[in-house]
Amino acid sequence: MDTFIQNSISGIAIGMVYALIALGFALIWKSSRVANLALGQLVLISSWFTYGMLMQLKFPFWFGMLMTIAFAVLLGWLIERLALRPLIGQPILSLIAVTLGLAYFLEGLTAFIWPQGQGYLPRVFPQESIRIGPATIQQELLWGAVISLVLFILLSLFFKYHKMGIAMRATADDQLAVQACAVPVTRIFSMSWIFACIVAAIGGILISSIAAINYGLVETGFKSFSVVILGGMESFLGCIVAGPIIGICETFGGSLFGSSVKELIPFLIIMIVIMFKPFGLFGEERIERI
Amino acid sequence: MSLPCGTRNYSYNTDMAIIRTKTQWVLFSLFLLALFTLPFYLPSSWFDTVNSIGIIVIAVVGLNILMGYCGQLSLGQAGFMAVGAFTTAIFSQSLQMPFLLSLVCSGLSAGLIGLIFGIPSLRVKGFYLAISTIAAQFIIIWVLKNWTDVTHGANGLDVLQASIGNFVFDSEARQYYLIFSIASLSVLFATNLARGRIGRAFIAVRDNDLAAEVMGINVFNYKLLGFFLGCFFAGLAGSLYAQYKGHISYEDFTFQQSILYIGMLIVGGLGSSLGPILGTVLIESLQKGLTYWVAPWLEQTVTFLPTGFSSGLNLMVFGLAFILILIFEPRGLAHLWSLFKGSYRLWPFSY
Repeated sequence: MDTFIQNSISGIAIGMVYALIALGFALIWKSSRVANLALGQLVLISSWFTYGMLMQLKFPFWFGMLMTIAFAVLLGWLIERLALRPLIGQPILSLIAVTLGLAYFLEGLTAFIWPQGQGYLPRVFPQESIRIGPATIQQELLWGAVISLVLFILLSLFFKYHKMGIAMRATADDQLAVQACAVPVTRIFSMSWIFACIVAAIGGILISSIAAINYGLVETGFKSFSVVILGGMESFLGCIVAGPIIGICETFGGSLFGSSVKELIPFLIIMIVIMFKPFGLFGEERIERI
Repeated sequence: MSLPCGTRNYSYNTDMAIIRTKTQWVLFSLFLLALFTLPFYLPSSWFDTVNSIGIIVIAVVGLNILMGYCGQLSLGQAGFMAVGAFTTAIFSQSLQMPFLLSLVCSGLSAGLIGLIFGIPSLRVKGFYLAISTIAAQFIIIWVLKNWTDVTHGANGLDVLQASIGNFVFDSEARQYYLIFSIASLSVLFATNLARGRIGRAFIAVRDNDLAAEVMGINVFNYKLLGFFLGCFFAGLAGSLYAQYKGHISYEDFTFQQSILYIGMLIVGGLGSSLGPILGTVLIESLQKGLTYWVAPWLEQTVTFLPTGFSSGLNLMVFGLAFILILIFEPRGLAHLWSLFKGSYRLWPFSY
């Protein structure tokens, strides 16, 4: 019973971090129908940037964070402006492929500037673990969960009530109609990439201050695709519900079948969901016509 | 297809022929001659590059059938190659199967695994399918990593070099002939496949699968066939890779390679028989050039960056090439080549 509670709580906490990364994916998908397969690489590069700011240039913590957010804004803007905008209206294959190219480029860039392959950020959150009933949990993971919950609420409110958020939803629905209503579609795409990069940067700082900065971050990115698929691509709620589910499945699978199975579970979930419920828990099923 | 001025076809066969004029025949024969005499004057340090180009061409041709013609994205081509490679390793090593038989078995086993992962294509497409093939890649590699009784995990397996009867392909030049015969056959097969009924059906499915279904094409069968054929070629490539390298482990088949193959295909041109070849040759030679010449030179001249920075160079250059091609020439090098041919044919009269 104790291990049960222990596993569920740590699963939920880890899952919330996946959910945070998946939020960045859903943001872009929701507004521009582009699937960002460079998710993990965005996390990777912003973590390394934070490392560069805090550990190499020795900036104070608050300034380093500010620089990272500024970097994320710039990165998102550049990506949209240089790589995605020329491809508006191109077939879906090109849009997938361009984010793959982006993934390759960003990975190369990080290896170019930070070839050491492993880095550590200073610990942001208190180290001692907390006891919840019979379970103990790292405090850092809880903080991660809280931050992703806050971000989720902010983003949901933004998409629901803010003018820009409403315009973003409308753009995803019908670009032409939105343009006819004089909504600047290109600016909306820019904004969504900028937001996604900020979310990725926050996620990156969270994860890499808990563990190390290395190629594992990219794999975390791949794992959070399972969150996106299970929750449904266009749903923030889906992310925040599916994240803990994936996390729980991972920790339980890991404790039942051995830790090597743990890496497999997100991908198995992807296959199962796509075979039986392809649009996820909260995704909209698209009905196609000729 | 446009023909040179004055060339007319009097029968259906001449109209459908791949090679139609005398000039084309001459050029084609010269090309074949050059291809099959290459080992005589190729410097020995180049064999490695050329042979791996041959192997990768097969995998990319398979990917072209699946992605270029059938329109189903596969981000797991390296995983399917791994299936082929391990099948060859196991069959030729522990079951003592002759090489050609294990080659075919590798293709079939990779194709069957491909069929399983192709099933979702019935219900989903685009990004969903892309993500499910990412899952395929990771699941396959995970199985190869953890099924240690058969695959020996990280230690990997030793593979005998290919042999037919008593003839062992034990030198680089012999390997060259083996690899390039199979690669040529694959290219020929893929070209003819694309021109026939199956290829037409693939193209219909790619362009609009709902419309294709209304026209009476069994979309699911053709999508699965696309997956089977694409993965079959990946299996062949994996099998050749295994016997060429002599030792394989799951670490040889990374997700990055899967992306690289897609990159090669897109740089070369989707949905053309020339594309995979052009893309593979260009990207592979670029890769060798970068690792052998540019990276050491950069390491010496640029001193303000930390040591070892050039490891990211390849990735960066390809990512960039990939994005630029998509933006400026989405139909790839093959399209540029056909534009060149077209303008050359009319030269010096532009219209």
